[in-house]
Amino acid sequence: MAQEALPTVTGFDPAIAGRYAECDGGGMVPGTGLASREEFAGTLSGDYVDHGDPPWRWYLLTKLVRRPEGYPGDAVWCESGNLFVMEKPS
Amino acid sequence: MAKNPLHTKFCELMGIEYPIIAFTHCKDVVAAVVNAGGFAVLGEAMHTPDEIAADIKWIRSRVGSKPFGIDLVLPASAPTADTLEKLLAGIPEEHRRFAQMIKEKYDVPEPKGQQALHQWGGLNQEIARKQLDVILEERAPVFVSGLGSPAFIIKAAHERGMKIFGLIGKTRQAKREIEAGVDVIVAQGYDAAGHTGPIGTFSIVPEVAAIAGDTPVIAAGGVTTGQHLAAALCLGASGVWTGTLWLASRESDNDMIIKEKLIAATSDDTVYSKSVSGFPMRVLRCPWTEEWAKPEAPRTLGSPYQMLLSSDYIQAANDHRRADLMFEAAGQGVAFITAMKPARQIVADMVEEALSVFENLTGEAAG
Repeated sequence: MAQEALPTVTGFDPAIAGRYAECDGGGMVPGTGLASREEFAGTLSGDYVDHGDPPWRWYLLTKLVRRPEGYPGDAVWCESGNLFVMEKPS
Repeated sequence: MAKNPLHTKFCELMGIEYPIIAFTHCKDVVAAVVNAGGFAVLGEAMHTPDEIAADIKWIRSRVGSKPFGIDLVLPASAPTADTLEKLLAGIPEEHRRFAQMIKEKYDVPEPKGQQALHQWGGLNQEIARKQLDVILEERAPVFVSGLGSPAFIIKAAHERGMKIFGLIGKTRQAKREIEAGVDVIVAQGYDAAGHTGPIGTFSIVPEVAAIAGDTPVIAAGGVTTGQHLAAALCLGASGVWTGTLWLASRESDNDMIIKEKLIAATSDDTVYSKSVSGFPMRVLRCPWTEEWAKPEAPRTLGSPYQMLLSSDYIQAANDHRRADLMFEAAGQGVAFITAMKPARQIVADMVEEALSVFENLTGEAAG
């Protein structure tokens, strides 16, 4: 598959920085045509990346308090349509 | 009965005869189902943009102006990138030893070629976006997002005369996608093949139907018979999404060994296991899933580590066509697949059975 870079635009949205959010995430399982669902919850850093045109926006979710077992790392990029910004549960 | 219960608003929207959607990775199944009056979606997540364009043209040459769909797995979350070597190094020794034990116990041979799985990074935002762009360029009649939200592409698709379906596993995802303007929402329950959400089909379908307004809702998960179709319509759905049903069809290019396994399987022969990918996934039982379910097995790893661990077994089983090792993703409705039938007959049988259910319920002739 060709690997030419698509235009991306990075930015920072102060309105969401520091907000708690849940991500109904997932992706394709490598080497298969199958999707997997996985859930994350954490704090939005405010960083975002737009891929292509029309822009496909992704936000960076950090300080994860919920992630799939064995998930490597403490941050995840979440697609904006699958991100639910809400009040942090007490 | 005055109204044909199978002529739903989904049929109206798509201009089709029967509210049956076939999800398949085989173009021949797509053409056969569409030409039989149903609707079909080709899974293209593993294909290059050029292959997708060629497949769209091939299907059009077989079905003419009848509608069909192309499905991609739009990612909804993405970890920071890692190299394959780094990922492989993250697999604990205990797990490697257990996988080796299975290999020796069942005499699993070496894979013949390089594992497709090892082309790590095969689907990221950029590649998914390029796949999507070719679907827009080709103006496929329908784009189906098998996982992530298609909201960002709806306007561009509608401007090209296309329709968008979103496949969801939670009601809040459905609400978000309906508000964004998807044309059809597919509510997938736990009974389904592969990686499903945790909510059962009988619960998620009416829940989504209750908030969907005029947007047709399609029921997915465990659907293989006309009885399931009738039940789905009673739950508020406007049609059904079927996947496992077509794996053993005559047109399917699945290996005959897998077709025979599917035909022989009962609903108890599927297992919801994390041993294949690290995510819960419904598949036919096989030595790999059975060994990892034993109390002495190590706890399965997360993704992608468990998939890297299982990939040797999977590829070897398929490369060498070892019937005792091979498996397939399959939904709980697999028990109702009892013969290798042409896709046209599967559609006709499903329709006839569903109409018969409505006749029995109402005491009036349906259809």
